[in-house]
Amino acid sequence: MTSETLTPRSGPRPAADHRRTGSSPGTWRTRLRRVRGPLGTALLCLGTVLFVLPFLFTITTSLRTAADVTRSPLGLPHSLTLKNFSDVFGQMHYGPSALNTLLITGLSCVCITVIGALASYPLARLTQNWSAWVYRLFILGTSVPVFVVVAPLYLLMRDLDLLDSYTGLVLIYTALNLPLAVFFYTSFIRSIPVDLEEAAALDGCGALRTFFTIILPLLRPVTSTLLTFISLQIWNDLLVPLVFLQDPAKRTVMVNAYSFIDPHTVQPTTLFPAALLGVLPLLVIFIFLQRQVVAGISAGAVKS
Amino acid sequence: MIHRRRTAMAAFLLPAIAVYGVFMIYPLVRGVYLSLTNSLGGPRADFVGLEQYRAMMDKPQVTAALWHTVLYAIVVVVVQNALGLLFASMLFRRPKVRKVLSVVLLTPTLISPMMAAFIWSYLFAPSGGINALLGVFGLDGLQHVWLGDPSTALYAVAAVNIWMFAGYSCAIFLASYMSMPTELLDAAAVDGATGWRRFRSVEWPLLAPALTVNVTLSLIGSLKVFEFPLVLTNGGPAGSTDTLTLLVYRNVFGGGKFAFGIAVSVLLLATVVVLSSATSSLLRLRERRI
Repeated sequence: MTSETLTPRSGPRPAADHRRTGSSPGTWRTRLRRVRGPLGTALLCLGTVLFVLPFLFTITTSLRTAADVTRSPLGLPHSLTLKNFSDVFGQMHYGPSALNTLLITGLSCVCITVIGALASYPLARLTQNWSAWVYRLFILGTSVPVFVVVAPLYLLMRDLDLLDSYTGLVLIYTALNLPLAVFFYTSFIRSIPVDLEEAAALDGCGALRTFFTIILPLLRPVTSTLLTFISLQIWNDLLVPLVFLQDPAKRTVMVNAYSFIDPHTVQPTTLFPAALLGVLPLLVIFIFLQRQVVAGISAGAVKS
Repeated sequence: MIHRRRTAMAAFLLPAIAVYGVFMIYPLVRGVYLSLTNSLGGPRADFVGLEQYRAMMDKPQVTAALWHTVLYAIVVVVVQNALGLLFASMLFRRPKVRKVLSVVLLTPTLISPMMAAFIWSYLFAPSGGINALLGVFGLDGLQHVWLGDPSTALYAVAAVNIWMFAGYSCAIFLASYMSMPTELLDAAAVDGATGWRRFRSVEWPLLAPALTVNVTLSLIGSLKVFEFPLVLTNGGPAGSTDTLTLLVYRNVFGGGKFAFGIAVSVLLLATVVVLSSATSSLLRLRERRI
């Protein structure tokens, strides 16, 4: 919207430009400029298509028969078939594992947002020395890789008898993602003026009620942003379920796909449908919540 | 009254501190302690001081993995952000296609790293998509066993990482572009600043905060890369794509060298903390100067 007002590429050139460069407006130059706009757009579109080509290739190949693919790996499908999908669907126990993943992702998201929002309120509003330190301790967690804690976490989970349990996984995901939630919520609450809360306090409104009636409703936009990001992370995660879930019946989509697919005997007609089934729920959500997802992916990062 | 309110507010922190303390801080501290023992994961563990770290330095495997991890991060940070910036600046100048294309560019970000790695393991295969595509264009000479050659494998793995997250970098740059003050850009246009000139002296300084965020995020993300090398090469060929995360995983959950694996994970943490804090403070310093 903003750039429409100042597209210097197309349309008449501002006279100031020629004065500055000191050169006469040669005809080849104007012609070049006239071509450069659409040409750039075409190049940009081409670049984007090249970028998602592997993705399109995955989709078309998974709809072809194995024999057809062997004959011409890059060709277009002669006839479409959903047989690959139905084969893979059964073999990788897709239905149950998708439900498991959904349950784990959902529960973790609820815990992260509720606990994170509760903690961020005092962290944003209390201005003591200790609260600043607690905040710093949380932020520190954003740069700690899972790998650093995975081994001691394994021992802890074993001692607490939480291996092979969804509770264990939800607790781990909550701990791992709380830093991000605290960072998001705290910076957001800091940008809300305190006046409303002070008025509520004068009216005798306690901290808990102030949080639920004033702060929580305001957090809705930032929550949806946070949720798109966190749910992507958890749904797509391989390491945590791979390490902490051994019972095949409890496995997630990613773990099942990982043990099902062997990259060394690459057979695109089983590989690609499995890959697509793994990401299908997210793609469906993405299509419906496109705007929030894009905002979610970009907004949080720029704010800091 | 106000005092009681503050106490009640502080109580809101309790659940977060409990979960974060037990499942993040405690394992972190215990991990550092365990790296100073000879633990095999069982109940027995004797304190051996810096023994594991000395063993680590003696293993060329570890130093090689550290180098691969850092090299991988440098390649990913530079190329991914350059591509993201290129796409963002082109999209910003083309409002008609901006929205659609930026969404399209984000699709690879949505799929899981493991699935992306699976798809690319086929594309990189000797008879896979890339070599077939090169054959179609008559570029048979460029065909290559991408993941099987130690000199290209690490870059091939990095390429998948870049493919997946360049759209993400682009989205962050684009958001920064969209928040640029219109008056400033208009003034630049009136002054006749176009093309490269306008980018260099107007847009680039304004993009400084976005660059800081992008570089820091991609640096931390690429230093802890796991799924891409695991699925695409599993550290091979000849250990040329072995990263610190793969070493941690292999030693802790396969090799029976529990304490050693944890010591490698502490090395990973040190690498992440040192590199990310150095880069982000350098970039912030630069932001202030601009």
